[in-house]
Amino acid sequence: MKTHDTRSQSSQSSQSGQSGQASQMSQQGDAERIGGVEVERLPRDPRTGQALAPRMQPGYYPGFSTLSQQSFWDEATRAVVLKRVNQPPPITFFDADEARVMQTVCDRVLPQDDRAPDRRIPILNTIDERLASGRINGYRYADMPPDPQAYRLAIKGIEAIAQSMGATTFTELNLRQQDLTLKSLHDGHPIAGDEYWRQMNARRFWLMLVSDCAGAYYAHPWAWDEIGFGGPAYPRGYMRLRDGQPEPWEKVEHRYEWEAPPESLSDTMESLSDTPEASSFTPGTH
Amino acid sequence: MKEPLFGAFDGAKPDEHYVGPIQRIDAPMRHYPRGEAVDFVVVGVGSAGGVLIQRLAKAGFSVVGLEAGPFWDTERDWVSDEAGSHGLYWNDLRIIGGSDPLALGANNSGKGVGGGSVHWAGFTPRLHPSDFRVRSDDGVAVDWPISYDDLKPYYELMEREIPVAGPTYYPWGDPHGYSYAPHPLGGVSQTLVRGCTRLGIPVVAGGPVAINSGSHGSRPHCIYRGFCIQGCKVGAKQSTLVSHVPDAIRHGAELRDKCMVARINLGKDGRVTGVTYYDEHGQEQEQRASVVIVSGYAIETPRLLLNSACPGFEQGLANSSGTLGKYLMAQIGNVVFGRFDDLVRMYKAPPANALTEEFYETDPRNDFVRGYAIQTVGPLPISFAQHMMVAQGAWGWGLRRTMMDYNHWSALGVLGEILPWEDNTVTLADVRDGFGLPVARVTFNLHENDHKIAQAGVQKTEEIMRAAGATEVTQEPRYAHLVGGARMGADASDSVVNSFGRTWDIPNLYVCDGSILPTQGSANPGLTIQALAARTADYLISERENAAAPTAATRIPVRYSLSPSEVAGRGMPRLKSRRPTTFGAGALGPGSRG
Amino acid sequence: MVVVSAPKPVEALADAARDQLAQNARLLRVSARRLTGRRSARWLGALAALAPRITREGVALEQHVREGRFQRSLALITALSSVAAGIEAGTEHFRGSYSQRIMYSPIALGMTLAVTSGAAVFSRWAARVALPIVSLVTLVDGAVGFIFHVRGIARKPGGWRIPIFNVIMGPPVFAPLLFGLVGFLGLLTSFLRREDDPRGRLPLGTRRSRPAWVNLLPRAISREGITLEQDVREGRFQRGLALATALTAFFNGVEALYSHYKNNFQFKVQWSPVLLTPALMAAGFGAFWSRRVARTWLPIVSLIAAVDGMVGFFYHARGGLRRPGALRRPLYTLAYGPPVFAPLLFAASGMLGLMASLMRRGK
Repeated sequence: MKTHDTRSQSSQSSQSGQSGQASQMSQQGDAERIGGVEVERLPRDPRTGQALAPRMQPGYYPGFSTLSQQSFWDEATRAVVLKRVNQPPPITFFDADEARVMQTVCDRVLPQDDRAPDRRIPILNTIDERLASGRINGYRYADMPPDPQAYRLAIKGIEAIAQSMGATTFTELNLRQQDLTLKSLHDGHPIAGDEYWRQMNARRFWLMLVSDCAGAYYAHPWAWDEIGFGGPAYPRGYMRLRDGQPEPWEKVEHRYEWEAPPESLSDTMESLSDTPEASSFTPGTH
Repeated sequence: MKEPLFGAFDGAKPDEHYVGPIQRIDAPMRHYPRGEAVDFVVVGVGSAGGVLIQRLAKAGFSVVGLEAGPFWDTERDWVSDEAGSHGLYWNDLRIIGGSDPLALGANNSGKGVGGGSVHWAGFTPRLHPSDFRVRSDDGVAVDWPISYDDLKPYYELMEREIPVAGPTYYPWGDPHGYSYAPHPLGGVSQTLVRGCTRLGIPVVAGGPVAINSGSHGSRPHCIYRGFCIQGCKVGAKQSTLVSHVPDAIRHGAELRDKCMVARINLGKDGRVTGVTYYDEHGQEQEQRASVVIVSGYAIETPRLLLNSACPGFEQGLANSSGTLGKYLMAQIGNVVFGRFDDLVRMYKAPPANALTEEFYETDPRNDFVRGYAIQTVGPLPISFAQHMMVAQGAWGWGLRRTMMDYNHWSALGVLGEILPWEDNTVTLADVRDGFGLPVARVTFNLHENDHKIAQAGVQKTEEIMRAAGATEVTQEPRYAHLVGGARMGADASDSVVNSFGRTWDIPNLYVCDGSILPTQGSANPGLTIQALAARTADYLISERENAAAPTAATRIPVRYSLSPSEVAGRGMPRLKSRRPTTFGAGALGPGSRG
Repeated sequence: MVVVSAPKPVEALADAARDQLAQNARLLRVSARRLTGRRSARWLGALAALAPRITREGVALEQHVREGRFQRSLALITALSSVAAGIEAGTEHFRGSYSQRIMYSPIALGMTLAVTSGAAVFSRWAARVALPIVSLVTLVDGAVGFIFHVRGIARKPGGWRIPIFNVIMGPPVFAPLLFGLVGFLGLLTSFLRREDDPRGRLPLGTRRSRPAWVNLLPRAISREGITLEQDVREGRFQRGLALATALTAFFNGVEALYSHYKNNFQFKVQWSPVLLTPALMAAGFGAFWSRRVARTWLPIVSLIAAVDGMVGFFYHARGGLRRPGALRRPLYTLAYGPPVFAPLLFAASGMLGLMASLMRRGK
């Protein structure tokens, strides 16, 4: 029930260790670090060009904590959310090599380098648990293999791209190359590994991958704190409905400027709305 | 306050079955002996099934409802959490294909008592009179075998039973008012109202939506928390689980959950004898019944009938017309996002809160027929991230950046009519589920008129978003809702059922759910599905009471006395209509009265 | 409060009025001239010189109030208040969709009371017989409504365990008591004398006709009641009215506090009723104990409160009208815009306080 306990526990468990390994392996020698993170990976202050130190809580709502409101949630919700925070599921679906590649993929699809290392949200564990349990979203495209196979195939395809760039594995690529690899999936034209990508629609896989990563990250209370989302709201609901007014326990916005690390490609966005796969991975709204 | 008085809130109580914070299932469930035939077996206890079992039980018949999913205890099973609500949807495998594959699961299908009504946002507009005459007026699709006036008393009845909160004057289609008051505006609906007002487009605020704006018996007033499509723990948003099922059980309906119906059995006399299903332990069981009603929705209903193929019905039960599984429809559901300099906080207040149907009808100035509505939506963070993944192509740092601005974004949904096309189908795939039953394959293709409606709808919605003050606008294509697949018609040669849901081929086999809609308009189908269910129930009761006569009847008395007990004596007098109540299609001219 | 020099003009007014009691109304001009002579009340003198008629009417009115001879005026005030309270309950209950039939009762009673007290302006019978009955029913309805609202909050998710949220989002808990206040006004009206009643007291030993039901009450109660009624008739209920002012100020203040809190105090002026409430309550309670407070602080604070309510009414009306498409959806604007009549109820508290300050105290 105590917020602080949950944080310290989960900070250990969310450190799957693989994240740290992956970053070290992708670097030659001793890189300069701030707050335990290599400078190259950190977002910058656009005015000074200086790297911004990792934060306990990035985002524009400093001091906002949804977990601090947990006694206002009903028991069932509290149990589900606290389990998510305190007990990330173990990796059982991916083998060690697959997990290493996937961890780096997740780190690029949803980078968390601006988060203090002990405040990172486990993403791979959540994806692994979904695949291990066979949970799907209620459908499969006729041009796609079942989700677990799709992930295995994609890992092979990503490794093939890495090898075409002269590395033995994806985790050895530098940041720019890693982002280039993933961007080619986003674009629907993988750079290499045709024998794997021929077996499925690369962009559909990309949309599933980003969805899964976003689904894990934005399900976490620390992510809610980051974006200023109020979190669970039962039995207590909301009273300040208009004009974006904060509830008494919410915080007002304090913005700061930041830009993505220079080596990253993921801050420039290209809409996929006009692609054939666009409507393919959509949550319910009505 | 740091804590609620007396400490943190608890949840379910072990010996009580709660559907909402204070509503309990207060009567012991009746159990009909296995092996004994009952009057009615209803396959699927969702929007239609819930209404059917309540009415049939209250009229004194023996009724068994079979539901593939669980009988929810909302305090125990539902959570106020986006990711944790995954279990509300029909997540079993289906194969999707065609030029424009339809996303299913969370997008449009529910599993468990209450069905899709558990996770609908709750918009409850009626169809327009013109929707029943699309062939006559616009030369496309088909006409309904009934007119708006046949359904109107059931719209009015269900609006009281749900109850629907909405404006005192609703200007479109057949103008009318609502007996429950509209809801206050939230950030998103402020956007729509502001944008429309600046452009001079009529817009209604605060409904019509199936969310209590006032307590309704033991269902409380809405608390504006925005988790409508995650299952309303408050019980303020209607699902048949909270509005009709408790009353059904009170009147002796038996509800068997986690029971997957495998096939419908046909007797030698050409009548169905009952259903075979797998119970919660996976054991095969049979339930005999005088009448079988299939209410499995647009995919599972055709699938069950196709899986029930037998000698005499090799192409699927009740499919002599060959139309079973065809003419499946979804609606254009593009979402337009706008970023505002001021905060919006779109997670507050019901996502379904304001709408305009100003562009609903065929307009000769357009290069397409039929039209679209524009409605508020309010995606929570995970959904919003997934929308932005497409709309902006966001990933990596870009996704993080956009999400940090979550509270600056507003979202409006286009709801456009897709016409029924023969090549949009539900068939059987060569993949089987855990019970060894072939799963459904859903093929979907957009046609020219559909594309044009989507384009026009997006353009208009973007205009509204900009007028409201958005500095950045983007959109994502998607679909909403599902209907068709076992459509009703006036002719046995091109439809599966008649207007009461009776299959043309088998006199004691009925279909009653969204799959019987021949066209869909640009209105969310939930209210229409429930109204059709109440009408079918009235027909079945009339038929049983007067075994000889009413089979050919098209008009049957509306049984107001069958409403759940808490409905009487609530709500306000309301504006009914300026439209004369005339029976028979095509009596009045087309056109919006807005 | 920090106003130091302000009490004097009001004291002066009070002194003048006391003098008036001793003299005939024809001496008005004299007393006005005398007032003019006082330095601290020069503005009043100027006013008197400019508009002697207004002053004359004002002093006459004050005299009527002091002597309890203002039944017709109070009946009119009651009529107007019950219309406002009826509309307020009507829109609030519209927000709750009239999901229970009893929610129509304040509308029906508000209108009945308005008609009855309207009739009481012209008819002595309406004032003496019909008004007390309708007023009593209204009072009871307010009390019943209070119970229903308390229960309504209990039945919301979380109930009274999250009182702040559920009081704000649930049925307004004190609104029925404020509605009951018009019943109280009506009852008060029925006990008063009419403006054209003979001045002074009835000759000693004269029995006034009383409703038959009074005789059914236990003697102790009916004796108390008769004394009370006598006091009201003679305008000797300053303490009672001061207490009523304090109580309604509290109810109004709480409503203002949580509805402005719900709005996150987006405008600074939203603090004004919240800050005025303790002052008005203090003045009301103070006036209960001290004649001095009743003659000094009470009228000042009451006047500020009344003005604040008027200003609030203006802001609320403007706020509603400024919403997009406000006039296209008048009922919606009335229901979900700022509550237009709420500030007027706050102003009514102030008016009550002003009235109390003009009263005489009990024996």
